Amino acid sequence: MLDSVPPAPAQPSLVAARLSLIFAVVALAGLFVFPYGTLSRNSDAQALLQRFPAGVINFTGAAFENQPSVASALAVGWATLAALILTVMAALRRSPWLWIAALLTLIVGVAGIILFNGSLGAATAELVAQGVRPRRIPWQSGGVHLGLFLPALAGLVGTFAGLSRYPAWWERLNRLRSLLVPVVAIALAIAVGAVVVLVVQPAPNALNRALSLGELFSGKLDVVWYVYTTLFAPISNLGGLFDSLKLATPLIFTGLGVAFAFRAGLFNIGGPGQLTLGGIFAMLVGIYVPLPAALLIPATVIAAAFGGALWGAIPGLLKARFGSSEVINTIMLNYIASAIFIFLLGANSFPFFGKTFGLPFKAGGSEAKSLEFPESARLSRISELLSFSRGGETLFSLGPVLALLTFAALYFGLRRVRARLWIALGAGLIVGAATWRTVGVPVTGTFGASLLNTSFLIALAGAVLVGVLLWRTATGYALRAVGLSPAAAEYGGISVGKNTILAMTLSGALMGLASTHYTIGGALDEYRLKTNMPVNVGFDGIAVALMGQNTPAGVVAAAVLFGTVDTGGVTVDRVLDKVNKDIVTVLKALIVLFIAAGGFLSRRVTDAPPPELEKAAGHGASSPPPTTPPSTPLPNLGAHLNTQSLKADDGEDIGAKEDSSQGGKS
Amino acid sequence: MIEFFLSLLSVTFAVTFVRSTVPLLLTALGGLYSERSGVVNIALDGLIIFGALAGAVITKQLDAPLGAAAPWAGWLGGMLVGGFVAWIHAVLSIRYRADQVISGTAINLLATGVPPVVLTAIYNTSNESPAVEHALPLWGVGDFKFSPPVYFAVLMVLLTWYVIYRTPYGLRLRASGEHPGAASSMGVNVRRIRYSAVILSGVLAGTAGVFLSIGNLDAYVRNISAGAGFIALAALIFGQWKPLGVFAATLLFGFLQALSIKLGGGNLLPDTLVQALPYMITVLALIFTGRSRAPRAVGKPLD
Repeated sequence: MLDSVPPAPAQPSLVAARLSLIFAVVALAGLFVFPYGTLSRNSDAQALLQRFPAGVINFTGAAFENQPSVASALAVGWATLAALILTVMAALRRSPWLWIAALLTLIVGVAGIILFNGSLGAATAELVAQGVRPRRIPWQSGGVHLGLFLPALAGLVGTFAGLSRYPAWWERLNRLRSLLVPVVAIALAIAVGAVVVLVVQPAPNALNRALSLGELFSGKLDVVWYVYTTLFAPISNLGGLFDSLKLATPLIFTGLGVAFAFRAGLFNIGGPGQLTLGGIFAMLVGIYVPLPAALLIPATVIAAAFGGALWGAIPGLLKARFGSSEVINTIMLNYIASAIFIFLLGANSFPFFGKTFGLPFKAGGSEAKSLEFPESARLSRISELLSFSRGGETLFSLGPVLALLTFAALYFGLRRVRARLWIALGAGLIVGAATWRTVGVPVTGTFGASLLNTSFLIALAGAVLVGVLLWRTATGYALRAVGLSPAAAEYGGISVGKNTILAMTLSGALMGLASTHYTIGGALDEYRLKTNMPVNVGFDGIAVALMGQNTPAGVVAAAVLFGTVDTGGVTVDRVLDKVNKDIVTVLKALIVLFIAAGGFLSRRVTDAPPPELEKAAGHGASSPPPTTPPSTPLPNLGAHLNTQSLKADDGEDIGAKEDSSQGGKS
Repeated sequence: MIEFFLSLLSVTFAVTFVRSTVPLLLTALGGLYSERSGVVNIALDGLIIFGALAGAVITKQLDAPLGAAAPWAGWLGGMLVGGFVAWIHAVLSIRYRADQVISGTAINLLATGVPPVVLTAIYNTSNESPAVEHALPLWGVGDFKFSPPVYFAVLMVLLTWYVIYRTPYGLRLRASGEHPGAASSMGVNVRRIRYSAVILSGVLAGTAGVFLSIGNLDAYVRNISAGAGFIALAALIFGQWKPLGVFAATLLFGFLQALSIKLGGGNLLPDTLVQALPYMITVLALIFTGRSRAPRAVGKPLD
């Protein structure tokens, strides 16, 4: 277990040393046991694998001529080996220079990765020069594998673990403590997911024979590596990034919705229903209210929020007035909302005590869908906003990037200026506006076809608003007070009932806004309200909120991560026959499960040590107070039992700090 | 109108009534054990799905070697899998003191992701398992024929009443849920009681799932529970966490479900809205239950 007291300056703490040791030993063994790099992979995920120190494994069944020479990367492998051995020795002896050895490993490891990719790139360039079409070049699909990746990772971990012996670095790392539970939860989920993949998916190979044990081992490892690299790959190219952000947009809304309710001590599992109602209201206003374009879009967005708010307010009201559980009520309202949706859009008429009445909403065809939203109600595509043409060439605008850079430079550069937020914001906006249609880079790829639309910007604005409301206003203070301790809040003059209704209403409004992405945002190819609207993003919002520690910035980051994995999941599903894209759903559920368990970490690890303990403790030997409960129950147990079953997470003060430091970033 | 009410007295309606009540009853009784011991079990719906999936898959896999005995093995498998998944919930909420609602939600999320993954791995389909050859047998007289879990459920009502109120285990269970501190000071192993109760709830919810997949139908289909776990939870609250109260509450909810099935397809009310009837009634029922007397320590981990 990690000691929460600062380590002695002389050597890294025991935990830091052990952590680096584990990573270094696995990387060391992995260098020889795991595949080193992927030379090529065909569309069925069958790979041509490079081993260290030499040799290739060919699962593709095809013969490759002129394999690219990766001699330089293999040579660096020996240097990696030496650096790893050095790290292992340093970790075993807890030497003060552990971080230097680890840093060396990191540098050599990264060099190996660069050289390997460089060799593949050179081979590709050679073939391009010969006039081979890019799609037919096998080396483009290559990349690093576990053998190259793990040393770099071990180097990274070892560097920070070694550096943690310096108080300044310990302080820095300590500030990241709140990330510990989500990171460990992801790691555990990935491990369990890997086992699932190992069990269900045979090694993809085109060899018509039984694999030898060694081949089987490499093949199985390769398929796990393939699944995870594919899941996280979309973020590495522009088209994939846009697709990831497209899937992340509704998750930002629903994550914010769940997090908002969480902060007030409520659990809103009603996302699907609130989203559906938001969609229905957006339809009613967007299609049937004749307004000019300038008003129609805001009116439709507000209608979507109103629909969700209505569906959220009901369980809030029932909880406040009758004390009935919002958990069960929100779930029941999900089913009711889905019934209303089918009722309105499933048919053009309905029977009522023998008579038949007409309904105007359903468009023609067998599928349940609404009429099309008029042009004036549609949100624009971000790819259209960001691309402009000059001299017949399509350019991707760098305006937002430059604006963000300007903002960050000024915000962090002007530490002593009081109004730095506003100065940075203003300068960022000016730079962005000036460069929006002027500075750009030519792009290849498919980002132009992306369905990412401006509801993404609404989502980001929502994140900022939630942050401001919760941590900068009296209303937010009251909401959080109710979440932390309803009894204390009531005693302090805050109405628990009123705030319960308010929290559920606003939470529902955020959920309802997610529907703008699918209706007037056209994320489902058509500008209609359709049955294939994936309302389950309302449930995914739970995972997003928990991953993001119920902070706006965290929710946005978690949503982008999940959006990426969702995008990659589609590829995995298509390529591998035995792995379903719902493996991503399983991963999300596991993340929720492991976060609920606090990553199986002790409180001593996850919570920052109290300051007086840090001061008092000179070195790691002083014993921290026992926090694990004694095995025999004590007579005064009742006193401890008086905790709320659904209190906001323990990262309360961390969240507040995070918001003040990153308020402008989200 | 009158014809409609007369049709409610028919045998087919009675059969539908029993069939819609049994999963709710089994699940609610499972929830009763868990919640009376002090562990909120919102995972019931997921447990039903795991039970249903395990029942169908195991029966299908054992169809050839076991023949008519396969569904019984499937039932056993469904119980074990339900118990195992519930055990995960128990470990998280008892040992790791996780928030029980979040932990239960995680199980429910797992139940939406695991079935497609398992079905793809075994049968290359993601929505439903292939039909089993031998479903659970039907026992009964004339048109009143039900699969064994129905009789098991009725037996469980009496058994649960007896266990909760007339055995030392029941006393300890109730004490763990009302005042775990007092219970443990009297030498009751609160944690062990809670573990057993949560696992028992998984076994019962798993049975409900088995009934849905190979008792009512002959395969697992996507979303087979249709929220039965949550309705059972509402019935548990409506029945005030008492075995006979829960029995009465599930009869009411089961009747409403059967009614909505009966009303569907007619020209009295739109089908789609009628299908939402049980859910609406659940919301209403929770209003009338009001601030009910839940086990006092429910949802709170033991320090």
